[in-house]
Amino acid sequence: MTDTSTTTTHDESSEPTKTSIASRLAARPQLVLVFVLIALILVTGIIEPNYLSLVGLKNSLVWAIPIGILAAGQTILMLTGGIDLSIAMIATASAYIAANQSPNGTAFAIVVGLLVGLIAGTLNGIGVGVFRVNPLIMTLAMAGILLGLFTGWATTIFAGSTRMNDFVRTIGGGSFLGGRVPWAAVVWAGVAILVILLLRRTGFGRNLYALGDNAIASRLSGIRAWQVLVAAYAISGILGSVAGLIVGGRIGSVDLQLVGFLLLPSVAAAVIGGTSIFGGVGTYTGTILGALILGVLQSMLTFLGAGQAVQQVLYGSIVVGLSWMYTRLAARQ
Amino acid sequence: MTATTPVVVQQNRSHAWRRWVQRHGWTAGIWILLLVLVVWYSTLIPRFGGFQVSTIITGGTAWIFLGVAQAVVVIAGGLDLGVGGMLVLTSATAAQLMEGQPLGVVILIAIGIVIVAAVLNGIVGWIITVSKVPDIVVTLGSLYIYQGLALMVLPKVGGGTNDSFRWMFTGSENGIGSNPWPAIVVIIIPVIVVAWWMGRTKGGLSLYAVGSDPTAAFLSGVRDAKTKIVAFAVAGAFGALAGFSSVSISGVGNPTTDGGILTLNSVAAIVIGGVALTGGIGSVIAVVPAAMILFFFNPILSALGVDPNQAQVIQGVLIVFVMMIAGVLEWRRLRRT
Repeated sequence: MTDTSTTTTHDESSEPTKTSIASRLAARPQLVLVFVLIALILVTGIIEPNYLSLVGLKNSLVWAIPIGILAAGQTILMLTGGIDLSIAMIATASAYIAANQSPNGTAFAIVVGLLVGLIAGTLNGIGVGVFRVNPLIMTLAMAGILLGLFTGWATTIFAGSTRMNDFVRTIGGGSFLGGRVPWAAVVWAGVAILVILLLRRTGFGRNLYALGDNAIASRLSGIRAWQVLVAAYAISGILGSVAGLIVGGRIGSVDLQLVGFLLLPSVAAAVIGGTSIFGGVGTYTGTILGALILGVLQSMLTFLGAGQAVQQVLYGSIVVGLSWMYTRLAARQ
Repeated sequence: MTATTPVVVQQNRSHAWRRWVQRHGWTAGIWILLLVLVVWYSTLIPRFGGFQVSTIITGGTAWIFLGVAQAVVVIAGGLDLGVGGMLVLTSATAAQLMEGQPLGVVILIAIGIVIVAAVLNGIVGWIITVSKVPDIVVTLGSLYIYQGLALMVLPKVGGGTNDSFRWMFTGSENGIGSNPWPAIVVIIIPVIVVAWWMGRTKGGLSLYAVGSDPTAAFLSGVRDAKTKIVAFAVAGAFGALAGFSSVSISGVGNPTTDGGILTLNSVAAIVIGGVALTGGIGSVIAVVPAAMILFFFNPILSALGVDPNQAQVIQGVLIVFVMMIAGVLEWRRLRRT
């Protein structure tokens, strides 16, 4: 994925001839992630030979898709030094409302679903950007507010259908080319292209990096931090809604615990991918690799037949181990 | 000439007063807010007696311990998302080991669990200092690991503990009573000890030093790695105390409790308690009423006849509102200087 860029890096070391493998890897930590991903796929293949097939790999991909989309939101916010702990609840709320509005037409249901993300995200952004509330607290409170609202509404104004619209079900759970490529992967690819372009090619993207790298310097150079933050949180909210619709579509019916379990993996994917939680450093390509690694990991743990307990312990250990390795490599650079 | 002296004294006095407000204003304000809420609550419900007081304090104990655990780490410049998981792990372990044991053995088990919890979380702190991986990431991992370990120790809801042990944390042998004093003592002793340690000893003060500026602390001879490890170990121990409180109230261990939500409550508690998430600022003494207030929201709102879901919404809005006020005050203060 990253190999396409220039092969001769701007290496200023005095001995360019004697670069060890380690330092060459250190120059490109994302290459290490690719190796880790391949190694994990192979190990999973050894555990369960059937895994090394289209169906097996597709299962991992299906896991990775919602994590990757949620982690896009986390990546954008982490670049500014923020985080979105409400993104999973936003996703759940969007899926819930979309399922509820399914009888009123496909387009309407999807638009209303995305609107939830836009509104909740914008409110997060106003809290963080305008009123300087700490992002952890703001988004955590937003998660609580949404959960409370929707638990109440589930039995009152949204008391109808909890079955997802057929079109959304196809997008979330269906696949094409004879069941080989999930539609959700197409959505993820679209999101990925947009986010990468946003971060690399637009002024807004550069503002995100600048803001997270040095808030004072960016203010002095004329960036209006609050506008950037409101937009960033709104985008994160919409990405949450997209992920929610996909998960809702895959499962078919919705409840208020739909996406909650993906919150921590979404943060983990961004971090494994090399995005700094302190802001200013990170790419979405790294996050994509992080999400794929977590998807393969999920398949591996399932094949190991490990109970939930062992799965959680291994998952936690691997997240720490991978980020440790990544930090080591990044520090060498 | 003679008239100047009293003026100077008065100026000094007003200066000292302002200084006190600046240093302890937030702590005092939170305690007053808690007091106002209690008085208001007592007028809301028909009967306000030992039972109500005891229920609130007993229920708030775990929240307080988790808040203190989080405060110690955050003041030292870190963040521990694993504290909620530690509550789940220690309560599951306690319920598994303590069932049917006499009080003496139960106390020994409790001490053992506190030590193991401190060591485990100390290892987490060590990993953070050695690996240079951000706290949020490592403790995200430890949260998962603790929850998994809890399920390994106690596969499903069950176990039990000694009745006298339950009395120590709840003031009654079945978890519900009208004697708040044991719970108050159980809260006060560890909190006073840790407050004294953090405010009056070299080891504790180094937490503030490392939290406010690790480089300056290092240059003035504070060993920042050791300090951070100690902070995480103390947090682990407080997580264990919270676990005991949880077991004592319910009488069983529940390994499927969501530790993440408990952690998030602890973060909210320290923020309301005036601990700066950037580190180096705050006091555990203010975290106690803040955690109490957070826990107290639910009984108050249910006394007002608000249904629990709306209560959650109001709680979230209030937290944001408090933080907005704090943010605006901080901004004004910065602008003035």
